[in-house]
Amino acid sequence: MNSNPLPTLAFLFLVASSVNAQQAVETAETQASAKDLDFFEKTIRPALVKHCYECHSKESGKIKGSLILDTRDGSRLGGDSGPAVVPFKIEESLLIAAIRHNDKDLAMPPKYRLEDSLVADFEKWIAMGAPDPREPAATGGKVPEYTNTIDLEKGRQHWAYQAPKKPQVPEFSNTDWTRNAIDAFVAEGHASKGITPAPDASPQTLIRRLTFDLTGLPPSPEEVEGFIAAYAENADSAIGETVARLLASKAFGERWGRHWLDVARYAESSGKEVNATYPQAWRYRDYVIDAFNADKPYNEFLVEQIAGDLLPAKTDKERSEHLVATGFLALGTKNLNEQNSRQFRFDLVDEQIDTTTQAFLATTAACARCHDHKFDPIPMSDYYALAGIFLSSETLYGTPNGLQSRRATELVELPSTAPNLPGVGLAGIIELAYQREVLSEAVTSLEQQAAEARRSGGDPQAFVGRILQTRNQLGIAEGKLLLYDDEGNARALAMGMRENGDAFDSQILIRGEEDQATAERAPRGVLQVVKTDDAKAIPAGQSGRLQLAEWMASPENPLTARVLANRVWLWLFGEGLVSSVDNFGTTGEKPSHPALLDYLAVRLVELDWSVKDLIREITATRTYRMASTFDAEDYEKDPENRFLWRANPRRLDAESLRDATLAVSGLLDSDRPLGSAVAEAGVGFVGRNIPESTFETDTNHRSVYLPVVRGAVPESLALFDFSDPSLTSGKREITTVPSQALYLMNSPFVIRSSNALAKLLTEEMGLRGPELAREAFFRAFSRPPTSDEAAEAKAFVEEFLAKAKAEGLPDSEARLLALTGFCQSLLASAEFRYLN
Amino acid sequence: MTRRQTLQTLSSGFGYLAFSALSTIAAEKAGNPLAPRAPHFAPRAKRVIFLAMQGGPSHVDTFDHKPLLTRDTGKPSSRGIATLLGTPFEFKPRGQSGLMVSSLFPHLADHADDLCLINSMHTDLPNHPQATTQMHTGNFQFVRPSLGAWTLYGLGTENDSLPGFVTLAPPNGAQNYGSAFLPAIYQGTPLGREVRNRFARENSSAPMSNLSNPKLSNELQRVQLDFVNGLNRAKLAQDQHHPEVEGVIESFELAFRMQDEVPEVLDLSREPDSVKKLYGLDEEPTATFARQCLSARRLAEAGVRFIQVNHGNWDHHRNLKDGLERNCSEIDKPIAGLIADLKQRDLLKDTLIVWAGEFGRTPHGQTGNGRDHNNKGYSIWMAGGGVKGGMRYGSTDDYGYQAVEDKMHIHDWHATILHLLGLDHERLTYRYAGRDFRLTDVHGEVAKGLLA
Repeated sequence: MNSNPLPTLAFLFLVASSVNAQQAVETAETQASAKDLDFFEKTIRPALVKHCYECHSKESGKIKGSLILDTRDGSRLGGDSGPAVVPFKIEESLLIAAIRHNDKDLAMPPKYRLEDSLVADFEKWIAMGAPDPREPAATGGKVPEYTNTIDLEKGRQHWAYQAPKKPQVPEFSNTDWTRNAIDAFVAEGHASKGITPAPDASPQTLIRRLTFDLTGLPPSPEEVEGFIAAYAENADSAIGETVARLLASKAFGERWGRHWLDVARYAESSGKEVNATYPQAWRYRDYVIDAFNADKPYNEFLVEQIAGDLLPAKTDKERSEHLVATGFLALGTKNLNEQNSRQFRFDLVDEQIDTTTQAFLATTAACARCHDHKFDPIPMSDYYALAGIFLSSETLYGTPNGLQSRRATELVELPSTAPNLPGVGLAGIIELAYQREVLSEAVTSLEQQAAEARRSGGDPQAFVGRILQTRNQLGIAEGKLLLYDDEGNARALAMGMRENGDAFDSQILIRGEEDQATAERAPRGVLQVVKTDDAKAIPAGQSGRLQLAEWMASPENPLTARVLANRVWLWLFGEGLVSSVDNFGTTGEKPSHPALLDYLAVRLVELDWSVKDLIREITATRTYRMASTFDAEDYEKDPENRFLWRANPRRLDAESLRDATLAVSGLLDSDRPLGSAVAEAGVGFVGRNIPESTFETDTNHRSVYLPVVRGAVPESLALFDFSDPSLTSGKREITTVPSQALYLMNSPFVIRSSNALAKLLTEEMGLRGPELAREAFFRAFSRPPTSDEAAEAKAFVEEFLAKAKAEGLPDSEARLLALTGFCQSLLASAEFRYLN
Repeated sequence: MTRRQTLQTLSSGFGYLAFSALSTIAAEKAGNPLAPRAPHFAPRAKRVIFLAMQGGPSHVDTFDHKPLLTRDTGKPSSRGIATLLGTPFEFKPRGQSGLMVSSLFPHLADHADDLCLINSMHTDLPNHPQATTQMHTGNFQFVRPSLGAWTLYGLGTENDSLPGFVTLAPPNGAQNYGSAFLPAIYQGTPLGREVRNRFARENSSAPMSNLSNPKLSNELQRVQLDFVNGLNRAKLAQDQHHPEVEGVIESFELAFRMQDEVPEVLDLSREPDSVKKLYGLDEEPTATFARQCLSARRLAEAGVRFIQVNHGNWDHHRNLKDGLERNCSEIDKPIAGLIADLKQRDLLKDTLIVWAGEFGRTPHGQTGNGRDHNNKGYSIWMAGGGVKGGMRYGSTDDYGYQAVEDKMHIHDWHATILHLLGLDHERLTYRYAGRDFRLTDVHGEVAKGLLA
């Protein structure tokens, strides 16, 4: 037998044994004597109805503390604090602790204490074994059962689950056209479709394409001229050297890291209704950028994001990186106002399963939360096998408690050498602590006044609003205090994961409903459809995140390398070989070039998972070098260009457009800022104590450093199809809407940049007339104007000047306005934002 | 140069074959995604004005008449130990139809014969965020496109100088007017989000960013735009076939038009006093909501497909009587004005007005003078385009706890709205992550009984 982490026999055994246990309990209960049941009916049930159901029953629609007392299972399962009823064990039954009123936090019912005799009756009932004839669950008397309907063997036949094998390189490898093996696969596709590849692009087009693709920035005029000269000497080495230069620049990580941040649904707030800030999220952003710049092998990058906290580290820096990487799992959207903690946990875990399986495996495992996957070979038991892994881990995201925000957590403490924001100093921390005390006292005082009002027959409701508001402020104050040490220095904190010390397997929830748990549990494990021989079993007491990560990062996993190779292809060509980049399942698209995809996947592993090396091989191809020239006949045969008869014309994404605008105007600040606007805004709730407008910042830093707040993404990004940061998004939509045009015509940012460019050209560079036009065109388009364009530019400036003067503007002002208008026209033009 | 002229120039430039390929395959893909599209069948409504009431308006105090609840006030409820709380408001038969509407809506009640009350709504959860999201998108678990985005995706829009889906002063939660996996162009354009009260304070300014250039006159901007267009046309000629660049050229022209159109459409000062009076624009406490309702009418008239108007603070756990009186006094007259105004312009017949909150409230009292959330039975109403007026559809039990007759789930309601717009909710699909998604998931039944 192999070492599959889900050995079938063991699985069956576990299931069978837990079913037996359940049956044993039920037999005992059906045998409860009539006398015992009579005691329940006469004494216990009426007391539960009278004193407990109002807040703890499905029927009343209220389930405080996630505790349901109107079903037997609900009582035994318990709520947020633990099981309410443990048969025969009075001291372990929280119900007894609550009604005794000894513990102030637990005391129930909250407003009065039951009579001593009734408390004694409850104790007696528990001692009897808590005989309870009520339906086991709210499902008409049945414990829900799960039956697996998935045929795994059949499912494994799907192409994506077959191990990629290094294919024979097609015979086309020795033609004039091909530069390396990759071209041979593409040439084979050309031949099969009867299409003709476009000629090589001009060197001007190529340098522009390379620079934007690898750095998200335009080439400088000097770089363009240098490349054109080198290309004339030797095209291959000109491209190779340029690629090496660009891969070595830190702008590379800022560009490619941003690609990954889309996949990782990176954002700096919790989204949804509450939308609490994540002031530490920027550390994950910087980690990703640095990982791409350092060419961290992708398998390590993967493992760190899922289980970095469980890896050994040689240095503080490495330890810090590993911890920050697990922020991947903590950054998702959250229903922070969910009242039912069990529901919250399962929703949190669902988001983690969804993101993890889509990002690394292009698999939609989250579809199996409520039923077996409808299309892919993923049974519900696999989903809950993954769920057990994440349920056995603790997600630390650090939002505070407050109005409608319940699920506060701590953060991960980093080694103190991690980069950090300035602290508040001793005076600051004393002030914060003082505020906390004042607010805390205010809450206590208000609560006392409300209690007093209640006793004296007044209206305690008058205090409710103030109590809630003050508690909210208290929550924010406590959240802020957490960020600093006793001397007011910022603590080095990050979002991330840790083991919760209590590893367990998840029940299977029928229809995904948290109160419809089956008796059986799904042993923690990975997706059964993908078997790898090197997979390790999950040791008892461990969550299994490390084993999950290693299984994904295994060279034997047929999905991982393919999924990344496909993403890299997308990021270089504008379309994946599999166009559904986040879904390789049976409902995804099939690869246009299956052999090429396999070749790239195998190469990636051979290259020790080096993304930079893979980029080197792909950019060295003839395929990458093609022009985007339109050809009507090829278009007829392959309108979507799936077989690459030309380069795809592409629009700059939002970040590249903004960064290029800053770069061309000479405004770009290429340094990395420390933190982000969200870190500066700090702990709180967007739209409540932190206005959304806080995040419309006007900086000259690269766009990857702009704040990404869910629901308040800066206009410069949101208008140009930035992905919804709530969802994994491997590929952006491209829309062309008038609000984009309005932005280019009227926004303060574009006007400011145009004005800076006009001044740069005139005041700093001292240019005018044709020289000015030439430099402006070169900066914006990497080419000089044609003679027609030069004439039109001249005509524009003259007409504009004349009209501006006619409107009464003084000459110098009119001249600057005309030049600004000219520069803005270039920045707003289609050529500026469409790559050939 | 128009789009057609551009195409003609192009077609003569590089051969008819390319042009025909462009017109068959590419034009469909790259065509203006907002262009009007034919519905699946003859529509009864051409546009929607959605009046969204956030917080969960009580149904038993407004549109669901429960005499037994009033009779049994103070008696124990069948749910828990709370006692039943009869409404403090008087219900009366209104109009020819005799539809029962409470005294909270004196003006709206005058239009009872236009209202199609749905008393049998139910939704999945009694929590605000989830229920609000489900009301807008059908699904509270996942990020899904909103009703307005689906509508725009299905039908396109009729005014090429305005966005096709507009939401006025929405509360937080962009997901509720988002497009999720639908192309971003279908998401709602929020107007006045940052400045919720702008509608109340200012007369004519349009709450949308980048609507005017701080430095350039219209004339100068026109000169500049012509230069940009020249550059873009040169690129188009160079690239031979580039639908997106065509789109850019169009979008600049639309944007240029919007600069004039948007402020004009939202310039309420152009309305005669009699109309302002009709909505209650000239007085408190109606002015704010009146401004939004009147803006909605102007947007509807201008051809916008889906307009959402938002109103909040309906979460009356306590002080129900005061709270409801205050809220209803803010919206009653403006909504009545909107119905009357649409009617007098003959627009009501093909404009669907929808009034809805995310759920209703319990028939038993809470904290003495309030009500708790109730998702199992509540009321909404629709009026205009294709629904029967003066009718009551479905019902709750004797006390208003849960829908019992002709139960209408959110999915059924969404299916019905799409049906009124001429869209089959089972055919309006979008492929994402490998499967065809619908607004109604795998659910939804059109409520045929309320179709006119």
